[in-house]
Amino acid sequence: MNDEQSSRLAVAFARETARSTTARLCAACVEVLAVTGAGITIMGGGQAGPICVSDRNVSALEDLQFAMGQGPCPDAFVSGVPVHAPSLDTTATMKWPSFVTLARESGIGAVFAYPLIAAGTRVGVLTIYQHDEGQLTKEQHDDSIALAEVLTETVLSLQDDAPPGTLAPGLADAVEYRAEIYQASGMIAVQLSIPALEALLRIRAHAFANDQTVAETAALIVARRLRLPNDHQPETEV
Amino acid sequence: MPDDALAKAAPTQTLTATRFVEIVDTLVGDFDVIEVLTLLTSRCVELLAASAAGILLADGSGRLRVVGASTEQIQLLELFQVQNDEGPCLDCFRTGHVVLHSDLDHLSPWPLFAAECTKSGFASVCAVPLRLRSHTLGCLNLFMSAPGGLDDTDIALAQVLADFASIALIQDQATRDAAIREGHLRHALTSRIAIEQAKGMIAERHQVDMDEAFSRLRSFARNNNRLLTEVAEAVVAGSLPLDSITPAGLRPPTSR
Repeated sequence: MNDEQSSRLAVAFARETARSTTARLCAACVEVLAVTGAGITIMGGGQAGPICVSDRNVSALEDLQFAMGQGPCPDAFVSGVPVHAPSLDTTATMKWPSFVTLARESGIGAVFAYPLIAAGTRVGVLTIYQHDEGQLTKEQHDDSIALAEVLTETVLSLQDDAPPGTLAPGLADAVEYRAEIYQASGMIAVQLSIPALEALLRIRAHAFANDQTVAETAALIVARRLRLPNDHQPETEV
Repeated sequence: MPDDALAKAAPTQTLTATRFVEIVDTLVGDFDVIEVLTLLTSRCVELLAASAAGILLADGSGRLRVVGASTEQIQLLELFQVQNDEGPCLDCFRTGHVVLHSDLDHLSPWPLFAAECTKSGFASVCAVPLRLRSHTLGCLNLFMSAPGGLDDTDIALAQVLADFASIALIQDQATRDAAIREGHLRHALTSRIAIEQAKGMIAERHQVDMDEAFSRLRSFARNNNRLLTEVAEAVVAGSLPLDSITPAGLRPPTSR
């Protein structure tokens, strides 16, 4: 990070964090990078979700990537390197079919995901959304890498103040927001006698096959209006 | 003999450069800090007019501890300094400056340490600080078998090697701090998720709503003097049977 760049980022962040904590971080990213939208997701053990998004379209896209485990954001998290999708072409469609469909519907033409890495360990992902197709400029790319560094420190600093084992208030959204999905996976785990993580995959598969969002499927399960089938019996909507 | 000196200088410089490149290569990768510090003591013996070297570091309470030595014998000599609270390393650590004593047989400020060194065959010593800005982290101790100590070039080189040690220590600490903080975040995330999953499992098994499931989880933790997150994780992992999470005040059904 050079001096001019870091002072520019510091000013934008100081201004945003003065307004509120995590909620405005994405607005700062959008402002600094001059892009359409941004989302910040934190992850642990392959689970978790967005802590902040710049707008509702981005919110839906971040949710889908988390819920389906599909898109540039999970790919950047798993690989630990930036994932660039300058156009949502056939290659992107083959890799992330559900994500590309929703991105197109939301008027998004290009997506870029940067992993948040601390001491070689992945903490989350900063995802940049652009209305128009095309690569980020060199400056936008460099700034995104610098921002990912700043955000990693921001996330860890927020968590520093939390009592051990509890999430800092600014980060709790990552789980709270989708508590129902985890509750539903616990219910399915008992119904089908499978581990909770596998239950989450079953919920994703059901949502995909039935053209529902994962949150919708989870809500039906928690309301006891849907039971997922095991290998021997058909699924039942109650 | 200036020609001779020149002929000798060139290969020494090449060796120094090669060793420095190796050390820097080590520091930019993943490294074990004790291994690097021990390696640095052997490099001191190889590149300087020293017969042996040791590194001492201050712990949290400011007490010096031996962390690396080129030989077992030096490990004991360093320990001797700390135990008797006298020696060049302690002076170097207190002042933050290089301490040189060119003849331990004469007028040594550390009588006990000097006697022990002479017994081990060392005639002069030098201590160089491990520096971080105005802070002294510890010191590098060099032992020479001949009187006379080290010349200025060797002292400058010793300081560079001591600085490498400081860099290794700071880098190691930063990595460890970041790993601990990341670990806290991951633990907080997975605990929070485990609580929601455990609620779902209890709700399904006992056919209760999420609020009741949570209150049963919480009272089980409280009644058994366990942490909520720990109980939730045990439920999710399957190591705590769901049937043992009963409504408050009820005993789990006994198996017959």
